[in-house]
Amino acid sequence: MFTTGFKFFFGLGMALITGAVFYGYTTGGNHLGPLSMGWKGGVGEHLGYSMLFGLAFVSMSVAMFLVSFRDADPAAQAHYMGVEQIPTNSLVTASFWPVVGAFGVGAMAIGLVLHTAVFVAGLVLCAVVAVEWLMDAWSDRATGDREANRVLRNRIMAPIEIPVLGAGIVALGVLAISRILLAASKLGAVVVAGVVSVVILALAVLLVSRPRVNKNLLSATVLAVAVAVLAGGVVATVTGERDFEHHEIDLESNNPESVEAHQGE
Amino acid sequence: MTMTDSATATGTLPSDPESLVSPTSAASAASAPSVSFESPVASEVGGVFDALTTTDHKRIGRLWLRSSLLMLLAVAVVGVLLRIEDINSSPDDIFAGTNNYFQFFGLYRLGMVLLVVLPLFVGLATVVVPMQVGATNIAFPRAAHGAAWLFMIGAGITVVAVLAGGGWGALDGVSPSEADAIALTLVGTALLIGAIVVASVCVATTVVSLRTPGMNLLRVPLFAWSMLVAAAVWLLTLPLALGNLVLIYFDLRGGPGEFGNIEGSDAVFAQLGWLIEQPQIYALAIPVLGVFGQVAAVVAKRRHAQHAAAMALIGFFGLLSVGGWSQPWFQGDSHDEQFVFVVFGLSVALPVLGSVAAVAATFARPGADAAAALEPSLASLERTKKLNLAGLLSVHGLAAFAAVLVLLAATVAGLVRVVQPWDLGGRTTVTAVMNLVWFAALLAGIAGIWFWAPKIAGVLLPGGLGRSAIFNIALGAVLLGGADFVSGFFGAGALAYQYSAASVSLVSVPSNENLVEVMNACAAVGALLIVLGVLAVVAAWLKPQGNTETLSDNPFGGLTLEWATPSPPPLGNFLDAPARVVSEVPLLDSVNDTEEDS
Repeated sequence: MFTTGFKFFFGLGMALITGAVFYGYTTGGNHLGPLSMGWKGGVGEHLGYSMLFGLAFVSMSVAMFLVSFRDADPAAQAHYMGVEQIPTNSLVTASFWPVVGAFGVGAMAIGLVLHTAVFVAGLVLCAVVAVEWLMDAWSDRATGDREANRVLRNRIMAPIEIPVLGAGIVALGVLAISRILLAASKLGAVVVAGVVSVVILALAVLLVSRPRVNKNLLSATVLAVAVAVLAGGVVATVTGERDFEHHEIDLESNNPESVEAHQGE
Repeated sequence: MTMTDSATATGTLPSDPESLVSPTSAASAASAPSVSFESPVASEVGGVFDALTTTDHKRIGRLWLRSSLLMLLAVAVVGVLLRIEDINSSPDDIFAGTNNYFQFFGLYRLGMVLLVVLPLFVGLATVVVPMQVGATNIAFPRAAHGAAWLFMIGAGITVVAVLAGGGWGALDGVSPSEADAIALTLVGTALLIGAIVVASVCVATTVVSLRTPGMNLLRVPLFAWSMLVAAAVWLLTLPLALGNLVLIYFDLRGGPGEFGNIEGSDAVFAQLGWLIEQPQIYALAIPVLGVFGQVAAVVAKRRHAQHAAAMALIGFFGLLSVGGWSQPWFQGDSHDEQFVFVVFGLSVALPVLGSVAAVAATFARPGADAAAALEPSLASLERTKKLNLAGLLSVHGLAAFAAVLVLLAATVAGLVRVVQPWDLGGRTTVTAVMNLVWFAALLAGIAGIWFWAPKIAGVLLPGGLGRSAIFNIALGAVLLGGADFVSGFFGAGALAYQYSAASVSLVSVPSNENLVEVMNACAAVGALLIVLGVLAVVAAWLKPQGNTETLSDNPFGGLTLEWATPSPPPLGNFLDAPARVVSEVPLLDSVNDTEEDS
């Protein structure tokens, strides 16, 4: 039950605790201080007591580690588990999250230097990755059946992922398109709004009329539209809003009739 | 005693590598696993999607290897430019100013460690170590994959930040945008270290907890063992560099300016200098001994004569590299304060010499003739000491021996550097040690890539390009290291950027400037040769030889479990669960089992 490594380090830890208590009482410790690590009384000479107790803590930790891993001996682990072979590392399912997480950390690093918004975006990304990663790790080991694990995972996560993802996409789309509309001229904004509406309508009609449309073609189209909208949004944000009519109220007379309209360039 | 017992006792291998039977097939019937072996589900599929989502350790390892080779090419070119600049001791010809020179100076030195050598070994280990210990995958494959991408992102940020005027400090003061670029360099460096630390955890955990039954730690192949030691040392020391960077960053962004003073100071670079000086620099070279021991035994066609001793020597070498705290930078310059530093410097050559001696013993070990070992009709076994010249002249054989010789030169140079009467601290002797260690590690990496190419990518790499790479890099390393070593004795300063920096008083004026100039020219030639060698490696990687369809599973007669996998290995690596391991050469065990059964 207990491995050799565990016995050694556990014994060492106990000896060190005994030594620490003995050292504490012989160097001025009183009451229950040396036994309670100073909670009820003095521990005596602090440095030696702390070192001995620290070493005891390390030994105990190593002992726990060793007994958990059965002294890192595969045969012992197999015996402990009552099988002929220890479980090999199963084939973990493919996942985008490690890459997304890496980009999240990268965004945090860049944002730390350049802009708080980028840092926060990276942080949000990392938080999402943490949740998804945890769920993937759990579902990989939920049952022995890979397909059942996938269904189980989706049953729990899909009701969260789909609305959140949908809301995120809509928010991002609205944000990007609003930036484009604000950056474009009056006429341009009308044209852009019209084109976007037509594209959405055309895609919807295509989907309804041809439900068996090639998925790759559809994915590529949606991706292209998404990239175009996002790129447009970024460019529009960098360009800035166009000049608008500014309404100034004559505060002295407090007369709404004195509102002046100024047309910008 | 049977024929095979004799073969085992003498430790000789069959001359025909193909005759080495896979232990998976040899003993699977006798000891069929009852649980948990997940056989391959599909062959590997390429493409961008897999690169983004894979959890297969071989793909992940290849990401590391490709990235490190790309970075190697870039850093080697920077090295040539720096060396050409050094010839006339002025940073104004090529780099147009001290700041630019200093930025690329930092990129070369820290880049060789964080962008080239460490990722090269991490990549090699990610591919090879799981197979060596009989595992179907690396531990924490998603974390390993994330680490590979984090490395690429960190490398991109670091390089772009340096090109944008960043780097690890500035000598002539900076503009606000350059200050941001320096901060970006610091966070990029932190990402690199973080990625390497995570990958090291995955490799070390694989060796500790995913070994196949029967493979206790003493039976772990030498490369896997060296990676366990190296990963442990990296995990002990690299987080300190991360701590350094955090301190520097916050100091830079509004602290008192103790570490992060970028207004005319090399303080940032100096804070990280302990990473690239002895004894810490030797931590990069721990896997060199593992690659050497493993490749040499295969080349000798014998089992390693001193496997346990070789493991102990690798451990000792690792222990001696955990000594950054003993450097004069931290401890002071007096003899008493440098006692530990000197002891480390004097001792570090011993494990390298010991490893060479252990391999020499392997070659000297008399063994039964390989053909006789497998042919029962032969009445007696002919004992022979014949050298396997073909194996010795193979790319992996040459590279492994070149690597260990260059490492030996590095440790000897390091030994000389710590001898007090010569007082070579701050001289180019320090640079000599780091250059020799870097290129010893690079040669070992090349040995590993050529040796394990069938398992890394399912190909054999061309011998001509490989030998060309080894010749160029080994000669370049000797020229670089030798020139710096000699210059150091004549007073040349290790930090060449100080020649025109504000702190001119720090410059140690060479006692024989003409000789130092000649040595600088030699070093420039050496750096150029290294670039040529690196180009040969990249060319070989891009255009491998042979046909994957006809590639043998064990073309070199390897002894360890990775050679029991198909070439290229499928997902899950092994077609059947490996049989229980009873020695450090599982494939030789399987030959014996098969013979006994028959």
